[in-house]
Amino acid sequence: MDFDSPWDENPHPDSTRDAEWTKMSSEFTNAGYREGITAGKESTLQEGFDSGFAQVGAPIGREIGLLRGVASGLVSYLSTSKGLSDQDIQLVEAREIAAGLSGIRFSDIAPRDLEAEQHAREHLEMEGKDADDDMDINEELAEKRKMEGLEDMLSRLAAETHSPDGGQKRPTTEDVQRLKVRLQTLTSAIGLPEAILWG
Amino acid sequence: MTDNFDLESLVHLEQIFYDSGYQEGHAHGRIHGLIEGRALGREKGFEMWEELGFYEGFALLWKSVSILQGREDDRALNHIKHLLTLISEFPRANPSVIDKEGSVDVPKLFRQIRSRYKALCAAVGIRPSLRAAEKSLPDDDQGMDGGSMSDQQTNGKEPIWTVDNRPGDPIGS
Repeated sequence: MDFDSPWDENPHPDSTRDAEWTKMSSEFTNAGYREGITAGKESTLQEGFDSGFAQVGAPIGREIGLLRGVASGLVSYLSTSKGLSDQDIQLVEAREIAAGLSGIRFSDIAPRDLEAEQHAREHLEMEGKDADDDMDINEELAEKRKMEGLEDMLSRLAAETHSPDGGQKRPTTEDVQRLKVRLQTLTSAIGLPEAILWG
Repeated sequence: MTDNFDLESLVHLEQIFYDSGYQEGHAHGRIHGLIEGRALGREKGFEMWEELGFYEGFALLWKSVSILQGREDDRALNHIKHLLTLISEFPRANPSVIDKEGSVDVPKLFRQIRSRYKALCAAVGIRPSLRAAEKSLPDDDQGMDGGSMSDQQTNGKEPIWTVDNRPGDPIGS
């Protein structure tokens, strides 16, 4: 025992003092933790933003945008410039592809953020230790997901009235690829130069 | 218990507890900053490049139509050429970072792209998509220069967009 320490002067361990001690240590540790987590978060937020922007959001957005732009241009070309009727098979196909593409959301095709998922699991495992479970969900994004959930619900309700089984699934990256192939097939059939469109 | 030495050591202890808490919190906060930052950046990058990609695809479609029809020098083709050039000048990384360096005026470039797209629509005789009228992307009065990251955190309204003093890494094409 080290009797130099002021804490050991009391020969009878005093439960009040122990409690005070614990309270003091956890109070300061927690205060430091709170300040630290805020500072740490601020220190990497921009780095995360830039990497998400350049590595995921921009390339995927461009890919979807390109397909939508081609499909949209194609519909106007076929209907306006070529003056095809609404029943024309090529125009119907172009409209279907455009509609399919417009139904795709970023959340349908965004790759998983494995690091975020892993960290969320760690939080679940030590549930109750930290009170910051929702830290990662930005308000604006949470709002958007809520709206998408609502849209899904409405479309399910609509689907139930139209078809008996109704169960609608969100599009996937495979669906995007299929729409791309259909679009390529259609533009080739029309005779548009592939090298210009698909580089 | 009440002499100076003891008081000082008590203060010191408080600092030690605080510091150890701070360190642990900071390490944890870094992870959360990266995660939330990535989620926001993904969303913003998608939004921005989906629109630009749309104009690009649209321009490419009409370019291929022009070639198919053998009209190599008409008004539409001129707009197409300019539109594609403008889009190729647009940064693929967070443009606010590059914007700080003064090499690319992103809001201006965006405006030019939108109006060139509308001009192309007029030239081929169709109505422009509504997205060209949307105000979801940075304009003169908001966005690029406003909102530091801490503002962003507290009000949660403006996506992080601006960085202070971070060297840019222009990824053009």
